[in-house]
Amino acid sequence: MFSYNISLAMRSLRERAHLTLLMIAAIAIGLGLLMTVKTMTHQSAKVPLAHKANDIFFIQADNRELTADPIVRQPRMVYLTHRDAQNIMKASTPAKAHASVWKSRVILNSLDKDVRPFRSDMAVTNADFFSMFDVPFLYGSPWNASSDASAEPVIVLTKESNALLFGNNSVGKQLRINGLTVTVVGVIDDWDLPSQFYDESFRRGRNDTAFIPDSLAIKSNIMRNERMRCLPQENALRASFRSSDVQGLINSECSFVRLWAEMDSSGSATKYQDFLEQYVNNQKDLGRFPREMNNYVTSLRDMLVMRNELFGGRDPLIYIAPLFFIVCLLNAISILLAKFTRKAKEVSLRRALGAKKWVLMGQYFTEVCIIGLIGGLLGIGLSYLGLQGMLHIAVYQSDYTVSAESLREAFALDWQMMSMALLIALTSTILVGLYPIWRIINVAPAAQLKSQ
Amino acid sequence: MEFRPILLSLKHNKFLSFLISAQVMLTLTVLSLATTTTRNTLSEWNMPSGLTQHDIISVRSEFFDPEIILGNAIADDLKRLKSLPGVLAVTPNQEIPFDAGGPSKVYLTPGVEAEGFDTNFFDMDENGPKVLDLQLISGRFYRANEVLRGDSQDISGSVSVVMISQDMAQEMFGQDSALGKTLYLAEGADPAQIIGVYSNFMNGESLNGRGKSYHSVLRPAVIWSEGAQPNYLIRVGSGLATGLFADIADSLYQSQGRYIHGIETLTRTQKRMYDGRGSQGAILLVISIILVLIAGFGTAGLVSFLITQRQKQIGIRRALGATKWGVMRYFLLENSILTWFGIVLGVILTVIQAYFMTQNSDRSVLDFGIVLYCALFIWLINIIAVWLPARRAAQVSPAIVTRS
Repeated sequence: MFSYNISLAMRSLRERAHLTLLMIAAIAIGLGLLMTVKTMTHQSAKVPLAHKANDIFFIQADNRELTADPIVRQPRMVYLTHRDAQNIMKASTPAKAHASVWKSRVILNSLDKDVRPFRSDMAVTNADFFSMFDVPFLYGSPWNASSDASAEPVIVLTKESNALLFGNNSVGKQLRINGLTVTVVGVIDDWDLPSQFYDESFRRGRNDTAFIPDSLAIKSNIMRNERMRCLPQENALRASFRSSDVQGLINSECSFVRLWAEMDSSGSATKYQDFLEQYVNNQKDLGRFPREMNNYVTSLRDMLVMRNELFGGRDPLIYIAPLFFIVCLLNAISILLAKFTRKAKEVSLRRALGAKKWVLMGQYFTEVCIIGLIGGLLGIGLSYLGLQGMLHIAVYQSDYTVSAESLREAFALDWQMMSMALLIALTSTILVGLYPIWRIINVAPAAQLKSQ
Repeated sequence: MEFRPILLSLKHNKFLSFLISAQVMLTLTVLSLATTTTRNTLSEWNMPSGLTQHDIISVRSEFFDPEIILGNAIADDLKRLKSLPGVLAVTPNQEIPFDAGGPSKVYLTPGVEAEGFDTNFFDMDENGPKVLDLQLISGRFYRANEVLRGDSQDISGSVSVVMISQDMAQEMFGQDSALGKTLYLAEGADPAQIIGVYSNFMNGESLNGRGKSYHSVLRPAVIWSEGAQPNYLIRVGSGLATGLFADIADSLYQSQGRYIHGIETLTRTQKRMYDGRGSQGAILLVISIILVLIAGFGTAGLVSFLITQRQKQIGIRRALGATKWGVMRYFLLENSILTWFGIVLGVILTVIQAYFMTQNSDRSVLDFGIVLYCALFIWLINIIAVWLPARRAAQVSPAIVTRS
């Protein structure tokens, strides 16, 4: 019976093939755009470090002046000042480990005059950063806590910067950050992150290529490539805080340090909230933190969710693609209706000869499913092309400063999205097929034969 | 007119009529949202630059070695660049045309509550106007001895003379002459005198987005500090630019302890400025066009189906004396009623969608003028889509009635 249905369905599809093709094309094009957009949002919402994302928390506290606008959403909250981050890291807290991060932009240059220097975005952090974020090492290892304490001139490179400056294993060799000579202790292997989350930039493609200890950066006055949120009376000093006046920066209320805390259980997060409140209250006694208490202890996973809620809906395509798909489905219905109505005579004859309604239904249902399946497969192909196109546009938009390779993952179809595409294609074609099928199987037996 | 029979027949064919209206509704929503967004992104797009950008090279460089004496190094650079064959003029600069950052403000009065005017500062030496090939509208260009040079830590005071662009003069002084007027380059800063007005040139993305693409102030200054070192703008002989990149890099890398971020013609800088907006607009437009085509095909298919279904009625009407044009008019009118019904629904849906889209951004995506144009466009497409099947309907012979 089933194979008979399939053969009938195939024959019916081949009749008036251009209508069938038009219908399949409509479904495939609509689905192609929908899945292109859905895959892009799916990839950008991917949680980095998924296995630890519930245990790593981002710490923020509002130290701004009384007159500043209130902030109620975590992604808009300010970071910590350098001294608050340091105080918290030294205090006894419910956290297992802390990592502070701020950014610099430097010129890495080899002692060998023949190697041209190389501009690097550099993260300034501490030893626990590498274990907290599971950073894989190709050569050597991270610096240890004692290097943090003694501001030892060490640096961790990435595979990319290592290749540009040395070519082979550089552990133990020296290079200069602008004028400061440092020793390489480790080289990071390919670090498979969906986006660079640890500086809250969530960017892709242009990743940091060097890491040094915070103590060293402060001692050697490495420039701060940070916007800095300062008190109004400090705003004029920001330029010097960035490049020269490091002590002034540490004494200021300028916040630019991101602080991460790793904890064992969610219970610790609540305890951490209490600790942070306690800390801010102590600082209030010293005349700081004039505003009402507004602290955030946010897990990495929650951060991503909130961030997507706040910034995710910016692309008009997100709104346009579903409407586009619906128009394509409406088209499919009208074509299906036209096709089926032409069959009225045949159906009416078969009904008159005793064919059961459900038999006919099975046949037309099979036909609709085949259309959905082919449309779905073509749609997956089209969304692959669409994603490739989007990838190239992204590379073009960055003026070729990022490579297509580094963005590939953000525009990749995975099994999850492909099965979703097939599911959407099948269910939607079945849904739109219901009315035409219902109409055709209810043709009265022999009614259409009269006029012949 | 045939309104009554049409409405009666639509009632008979509720579902199919609804399909056409629904398609129009959704197409209108997508098309008008896409067009409005595209128009927003492309507003102020690709305006005249006021520069011969293909003959100007921009070099962004940095001395990273703290031992280097910047004043000498810059003088060396200028000497070396000028001696390259093909180079016509060189100036150190900070902001680059097409790439200027967030706006600064200038004031006409020194008070704290003075009204500020958005602008971008371009700091260059006496060769600057020559490099950019600016036309003098009034007044004079500044002279070499008016250029303020030095390390920002050693310099006290600020420039005493400035030049402003034509649009800037227009905004601040209207019909009055700007020459000799006093300008405060920051709140509470020392005054500077306006000595000349020059022809407009493009500043950068940030002011371009606010409709102030040509607002700029030229400061005769070459000021460096460890974090902010001058870049260079180089005017070269026509068409020579790309051939000179390697020579420029080699001659600049003769000094140790420096890094060159990039050497490019201003054409590339300009491309970068418009890239994102251009491609986003293009994507939306392509999608809208595909959508209109799909919807058009769908409508044509549906109408031709309706006509096949109604062959007999058409034959009867023809037999009763309806003209061919009468039959065509019937279908065109029927389709127009459905289209306009869909358009009314589409406007409502557009407003709702626009509301959701503006939740996350501050830019309005609703413009009823554009919605109206899109509606007329869709109507036109639908009339074309109905025209062919309707003409076929008009060819139905009256004799068909006699067949059964």
